[in-house]
Amino acid sequence: MTRASVVGAGMTKFGVHDRPLQELFGEAAFEAFDDAGVEPADVESFYFGNAMGGQTENDTHLAPKLASHVGIAGVPAQRYEDACATSANAFKNAVQAVEAGIHDVVLVGGVERCTPQTGLDTAEMTRIFASASHRQYEQPTGLTFPGVFALLTKRHMHEHGTTPEHLAHVAVKNHEHGTRNPRAHFGKETTVEAVLEGPIVADPFRLMDCCPFSDGAAAVVLVSDEVADSYDAPVDVTGIGHATDVVPIGDKLTPHVTQAARDASAQAYEQAGITAADVDFAEVHDCFTGAEVMASEAIGLIEDGQGGPAAAEGRTSYDGDIPINASGGLKAKGHPIGATGAAQIVELTEQIRGEAGARQLDEAEYGVAHNLGGDAATTLVTVMEGRR
Amino acid sequence: MSSDLPERLTYGEWTRALKEGRLLGQACGACANVLGTPKGACPHCGTRDLETVELPTSGEVYTETTVMVPPEGVEERGYQVAVVQVGEARVMGRVDGNGGEVHVDIGDSVELTGYIKGEGDDPAPLFRPAD
Repeated sequence: MTRASVVGAGMTKFGVHDRPLQELFGEAAFEAFDDAGVEPADVESFYFGNAMGGQTENDTHLAPKLASHVGIAGVPAQRYEDACATSANAFKNAVQAVEAGIHDVVLVGGVERCTPQTGLDTAEMTRIFASASHRQYEQPTGLTFPGVFALLTKRHMHEHGTTPEHLAHVAVKNHEHGTRNPRAHFGKETTVEAVLEGPIVADPFRLMDCCPFSDGAAAVVLVSDEVADSYDAPVDVTGIGHATDVVPIGDKLTPHVTQAARDASAQAYEQAGITAADVDFAEVHDCFTGAEVMASEAIGLIEDGQGGPAAAEGRTSYDGDIPINASGGLKAKGHPIGATGAAQIVELTEQIRGEAGARQLDEAEYGVAHNLGGDAATTLVTVMEGRR
Repeated sequence: MSSDLPERLTYGEWTRALKEGRLLGQACGACANVLGTPKGACPHCGTRDLETVELPTSGEVYTETTVMVPPEGVEERGYQVAVVQVGEARVMGRVDGNGGEVHVDIGDSVELTGYIKGEGDDPAPLFRPAD
């Protein structure tokens, strides 16, 4: 059943952007307005995501600032923060609002600037990212975010025999996909050998197992089912699941299964009336290569324990049987934290409309987005379909 | 020993015990899970029926990583962080690497050897390979 429909999508190139948050967000929002054919006066509310602006650039209370910049001052505007799942959560709340009949047309999006070129250096950003781990029971160990996912991935490797080569294949695949995406932060291919020769960040992750710090913004115009047919190319949201897991890692029952993703995807598939077998393609949260392996299993696209081999065998490639991260994913497209969830929705929209250019997939009827936050303790899974 | 255990385990009690070389956790009276860090209610079933328990100070490495790119404020690099299974609970700590000479793998036996001070002097358990 349709819960809401995306009728306009926009995003900036991800990479380095030396301009203020409102101007960066404005580019994505105006593109989404123009794509939808809406005017600011049509927009009834603003659901916005930014994770770390207060910490990184002393910039808070951003929702009304950005609303003012894009011509929608006056509407109710709210900001969400759930680490890397920030704008997926904004999107979920927007879906619920239009589904409930509170609004018919809303703007949803996110923005973040994370690059050393426009903000803080790597050590400072590493500290800020680590603020999403438990303040009392994890941060004092010196744990970093690559370290968080390294802990989960190491246990997955121990349980299932996942290897560093498997992980490297995820990076190689997503970089190859990124060459097809003009908005990707990295548009250059790499090799398994190059990945395995990179410097270690937090073992088993080497530099190329990790997504970059990016600047960028993404936005969509979301409308109610009732009014969707009056727009040119609506793409329906038929399921959106949202679950959380226990923090800290030590108190999770089985950390590497990423239970929140299993719970969120089960909710999303049930709402959409589909199973994982019906999914044609997915955008998953590959902040680190091991995260993609665990996500591909948790949302049911690959059998448990086979996420690594599936990437190595090409099953999750652009031309494989279940393409994952055709956009390049966080790994190659980039990861401006608060924009990432919305950018996944932009990619699903473009693929389902058949507007994805050089990365267009042959079969893109049912798309899934998986956006996680923190140590996988927040996960949202969204199912989108073309309107028939 | 159990008579001196706090009825409601707090961060303050947990850190005080850690500084004495002890690990305190909570046993859930409803779902039987054991927690390695204090909560107000069981995260698995929601009950507030949590009994403070003394955890073993030795156990097995559940998972581990070596951090080569540290956050701002941490001067060293190449330190090992591990989640250690202590009895029925797990706690995260630092491994005493003795200047990079010591490394532990999943399944290795380790024991609590003290604590390190993190940001703001907040303590974290420090483990070393068991004899």
